[in-house]
Amino acid sequence: MPIITISRQMGSLGDEIAESLARKLDWELITRSHLIDRFFAEFADASQRHMLNESAKFYLTEVEGKGTYKDLLEQSLYDLAGIQSAILVGFGSQVIFADDARAIHVRVIAPERTRLNRIRKQFHVTEEEARSILSVADKKHKRFVSTVFGADLTDPAHYHITLNTGMLSEDECVTSLVALQQEHELRFRMRSENEESDTLDHMTELSVFRNPSEAEFARILDMYQIEWKYEPKTFPVEWDAEGNITLAFSPDFYLPKFDTYLELTTMSQRYVTEKNRKLKKVRELYPGINIRIVYKKDFISLIERFKSFGN
Amino acid sequence: MSDPSIKQIIYSQETLQKKAAELGQRISEDYRDKELVLIAVLKGSMYFFADLTREIDIPIGVDMISIGNIPDTTSRTGIVRITKDLDLDITGKHVLVIEDIIRTGLTTAYLIQSLEARKPIDVKVCTLLYNPDRLLINVPIAYYGFEVSRSWLVGYGMDIDEKWRNLPYIGELDHP
Repeated sequence: MPIITISRQMGSLGDEIAESLARKLDWELITRSHLIDRFFAEFADASQRHMLNESAKFYLTEVEGKGTYKDLLEQSLYDLAGIQSAILVGFGSQVIFADDARAIHVRVIAPERTRLNRIRKQFHVTEEEARSILSVADKKHKRFVSTVFGADLTDPAHYHITLNTGMLSEDECVTSLVALQQEHELRFRMRSENEESDTLDHMTELSVFRNPSEAEFARILDMYQIEWKYEPKTFPVEWDAEGNITLAFSPDFYLPKFDTYLELTTMSQRYVTEKNRKLKKVRELYPGINIRIVYKKDFISLIERFKSFGN
Repeated sequence: MSDPSIKQIIYSQETLQKKAAELGQRISEDYRDKELVLIAVLKGSMYFFADLTREIDIPIGVDMISIGNIPDTTSRTGIVRITKDLDLDITGKHVLVIEDIIRTGLTTAYLIQSLEARKPIDVKVCTLLYNPDRLLINVPIAYYGFEVSRSWLVGYGMDIDEKWRNLPYIGELDHP
């Protein structure tokens, strides 16, 4: 299932963003305190749970016949991610799920001055005390990930995205993450389909329209607020004896919400016939796929309608 | 009513009422004991909606929605927006959108996206007419009256430049 991991600096609003995101997506929020009570109650008594809360090294302790607490933590999280979507805050989850194609890893930071001001307000402490609180928290977070997983949590390579709440509001961060999650999930779905059907992935490429008709059609879809992807994949339809692709079909648009591919044909009948032939092959080779052709007269009619709206 | 611009009557008043009765009966059976809201897409579906809802023998909510294009400062094209919104709350209810005709499906797709954001149980579509050859988007058409391929159809709510809506039948124009 899709998951989002959130690593945050203290005073960065990372916890608030995680809570708000969990509400918006209707996913379970799992923090360290939830996690210890939920996953370790069976293997650890109260004093061991206290140690798990306080000491990074304790995660490397062996539990009789079950590996270390770290192993148990990882297995419990894999099991959880196998059955439900969740937002995981802290505890090195960005390292545990580093190879999970469906996961999104987020780092939330803020400039030191902003964090100090927030901590001062939150705990009613002096600037010096706030500085000390932040320093201890930063060290503990860093030590946990480095001790348990041998990784540096501040390394940007661990994350898909880093959000700076000195520049972005909590709402802006949450809205961006919801949009990113939807896009990432779509990307994951299409990549999985590509692997299953041997189609070719183009979704890392930018939309550069080949002709003005495609750009015009994209504007029509935008007008109706229908999400589209431009040429997101190629369907091979003929191969030579060595298995090299000799004929392929790349529909112009994909509408994810309606699982529909659209191909524009605004040129001469000769090309339309060729396209129809390719399309017939695609339908034979990839049953269940939903591809429609936008013929010239339909396109003109849409443009006319477009113009009738005053544009 | 006779109109010299009408080349031929495609569906008579009697045929249309029979079809509304048939669809009304099917909808009544499919949604019995369910909370259903029927939404007319103005203005084209108003006569079909009036006939259809009166053939449904289960309790239903009825509402109307209208969409149009408004200018938008961030785009050259403007955007399609709801110009008359629903009065009823559709959250947790079954929704059936009633259309006069679906051609490309773009308008219906926009409408479905907008209605689904309000968290109904489901949104399906009942259209009097649809043209399968021109349909571009896979919209959930659960009920339809007739498949059509002709272009210049008017009457029974459908218009060209706001004319011929009030014909009691559906006719084909000689030329718009």
